Amino acid sequence: MLNKIKSTIKAHFPAPEVQAHCDGPCGVYDPASARIAAEAVLSMTKKIMALDVPDPSNKEATVAYLNTVSRYVAIKEEQAHLAKTELLVLWTDYFKPVHLEQYPDLHDTFWKAAKLCSATKVAVSLEDATALMDAIQNIHNIFWSTKNRDVTYYTAS
Amino acid sequence: MNDDLKTGGLREFLLWLTRRRRRFRVSGRSMTPLLEPGQEVLINPAAYRHTLPQPGDIVVVRHPYQPHLRLIKRITDVLDEERYIVKGDNPLESTDSRTFGPVGFEHILGQVTSRF
Repeated sequence: MLNKIKSTIKAHFPAPEVQAHCDGPCGVYDPASARIAAEAVLSMTKKIMALDVPDPSNKEATVAYLNTVSRYVAIKEEQAHLAKTELLVLWTDYFKPVHLEQYPDLHDTFWKAAKLCSATKVAVSLEDATALMDAIQNIHNIFWSTKNRDVTYYTAS
Repeated sequence: MNDDLKTGGLREFLLWLTRRRRRFRVSGRSMTPLLEPGQEVLINPAAYRHTLPQPGDIVVVRHPYQPHLRLIKRITDVLDEERYIVKGDNPLESTDSRTFGPVGFEHILGQVTSRF
């Protein structure tokens, strides 16, 4: 009887929620996700630069070239944007005022790293793509030091 | 430890009807296997009026940095009378004191007393 009443109440009068989430928001942060995206940007930048431009009179080769370069550029664009998003999430969600006291140039570091993400979209620049990787390595070091953990930086490629 | 959270009987139900219990629905998996998403619990908002929270208590707390967010966690350590370490039973899927640090007594909204 009591159970029946309870079921009816549950069905008709939903209780407010309490979060038992992995970061209702989840607190699982890692600069590795930005690093992987930035590595893809660097890789695509190198691949685009390494492409041989075909003779325009060779239609088949030109079509293949345009297709390949388009794909590389699309991936570069997408991964640069992903890297930027991942950085912004770290910056705005993970880092707290207490970290800013410890790293006073934190805002500048993230702002410049986000700008580099944009720069790698705008041009095919090995210099910018490498600078983005360096910026992310710096953020990796800051991030793990705020957690008092010694996590070695590495790259997948 | 509150390892086995009982389903409340008539007494808990009457306490809820008379507003001495509050009802909440669990969202998320940080308290599994004890509490699955969608299950409902009752909390006693006055539980800590005369006694202090103890390790093992399951509590509903306000997120220290996101006050609109209510979390359900277990107290695992008492730093002093004002500050408590709370953790999810399922650490792989929980955001808790490991991320946001200890919670203050004033953030504790009540003790979970039973399943609804």
